[in-house]
Amino acid sequence: MADLQLLLPILLKGAGTSMLLLLLAFSLGGLLGLPLGILRVFGPAPLRWVLQAFDLVMRGFPAIVLLFLIYFGLGSLPQVRLTSLQAAVLALGLRSAAYQAQLMSGAIRMVDPGQLEAARALGFSLIGGLRLAVLPQALRFALPGLANESSVVLKDTSLAFTVGVLELMSRAKFLAASTRDIVLVYLLAAAIFWLLTQAGTLGFAALERVSRLPGIGVERKRDRQ
Amino acid sequence: MNYIELLAQLLKGLGTTLRLIAVSAPLGLLLGIAVGFSNVYAPRPIRGLAILYRSVLRGVPLVLQLFVLYYVLPRAGILLQPFAAATLAFALCSGAYHSEYIRSALLSIPPGQMEAARALGMSRFTAIRSILLPQALRRALPGCGNEFTYLIKYSSLAYLVTLVDITGAGRLQAYASFRFFEVFVYVGVFYLALVGIARSGLHVLQRRWRRSSGGLH
Repeated sequence: MADLQLLLPILLKGAGTSMLLLLLAFSLGGLLGLPLGILRVFGPAPLRWVLQAFDLVMRGFPAIVLLFLIYFGLGSLPQVRLTSLQAAVLALGLRSAAYQAQLMSGAIRMVDPGQLEAARALGFSLIGGLRLAVLPQALRFALPGLANESSVVLKDTSLAFTVGVLELMSRAKFLAASTRDIVLVYLLAAAIFWLLTQAGTLGFAALERVSRLPGIGVERKRDRQ
Repeated sequence: MNYIELLAQLLKGLGTTLRLIAVSAPLGLLLGIAVGFSNVYAPRPIRGLAILYRSVLRGVPLVLQLFVLYYVLPRAGILLQPFAAATLAFALCSGAYHSEYIRSALLSIPPGQMEAARALGMSRFTAIRSILLPQALRRALPGCGNEFTYLIKYSSLAYLVTLVDITGAGRLQAYASFRFFEVFVYVGVFYLALVGIARSGLHVLQRRWRRSSGGLH
C-alpha cells in the first residue's frame, strides 16, 4: 500500500487544520453565542431587534456566501486584510454564534423563571442569579444541541477550501488532481470526516453523562429499536 | 457597475437555484420517508442499511458527497451531468436528515395503532400509507421544514460543479466588477428571500394541518 503511505500523512495534516478551524470557529461561536443568547432573553428591546437582524443574516445567508462576503468583501479592504484562515474562522464563528445564541436562549427558557425570581428575592444580582442558578442548568440543557452544532461546524469547515485554507477538503482535492488515486483519496477523506463527526458525537455524549445532575436534565427518549 | 446586467444575471441564477431545489427537495423527502420507514418497520438487514446510509451521509460534508458523485463516479463509468450530480447529492443528503425526523415521528406514534389497523384487516402497507404516514408527516413537519430551508442554503454549493446558480452568477459578477462585498450582499439577500418565503409557506401548512387534525398535537 505505497499509495496509502503517501496519501494518508497529507490528508491527516489537512485534518489537523480542519480541527484547528473547528476549534477556533466553535469557540468563537460559543464565546459570542452565550452572551448573545442571554441578551436574547433578558436584553432591552432595541438590542433584541439588533440581535434579530444579526440572526437573520447569519442564519439566512448560505455559509459559503458568508465566507465570500468576509474573505473577498471585508478581506479585500486595505485596512482589514484577512488571511484565508482568519476569514474562515470569522465566517464560521459568527454563523455558529447565531446558532449557539439560539440554542442558549432556548435552554435558558427551559429553566423555570421562578428560580431566577427566587435568586433575586434572596439578594442575588441578575448576573449572580444567572451565573449561579440559571446557567449551570441551561448549559446542561444545551449540550445535545451544541453536539449537533459542533458537527455542523466541522462539516462546514470543508467549505474553507474555496478561499484557500489548506484543510482536509482542499488537500483531498489537490491529491485527487495530482495523483491517479482519486477514488482512494476521496474515500479516505470521507472516512476521516466521518470518524471526526462520530468522535465529536461520542465526546459530547460523554460530557452529557459526566455533567448530569440527578433530577436535572432532559430525560432521554428511550429508543424502541 | 451595471446594475441591470447584475440583476439579470442574478435572476438567471435564481432560475437555476429554483430548478435545483424543485428537483432535489421532493426527491429528498421521498427518500427520507422511505428510509425513515425502513428504519422502523423493515426487516433487520434493510434496517441496518438505512442506519448506515444515515450515518455516512450525515457524517460527511455535502461538498465531499458532491465531489464523489461528480468526480469519482465517472471512474466507475457513471458520468453525471453537473445538474444531475448536484440534485442527486442534495437529495441524498437531505433524505438522510428527513429520515431522522420521520423515524422519530414514527416512534412517537403509539404501536397500538398499527396493531389496531392490522386487526381491522388492513395490510401492513395500507396501514402505513393511510394511518401512520399522515400522522408521521404532521409530526415531522417542523423538522423536515427546517431541513428544507437548509437545502435552499446548501444549494449554493452547486456552483462548485460549474452550475451558474445564484452564488455562481454572483461570483462571476463580483469578479467582473471587483465589488465583492456589494455583490455578495445581494446574493445573500436572494437566499434570505427564498428562506423567508419557504418559512412562511411552511408556517401556513403547519397551521392548516393542525386544524385538519383537530389540534391533536
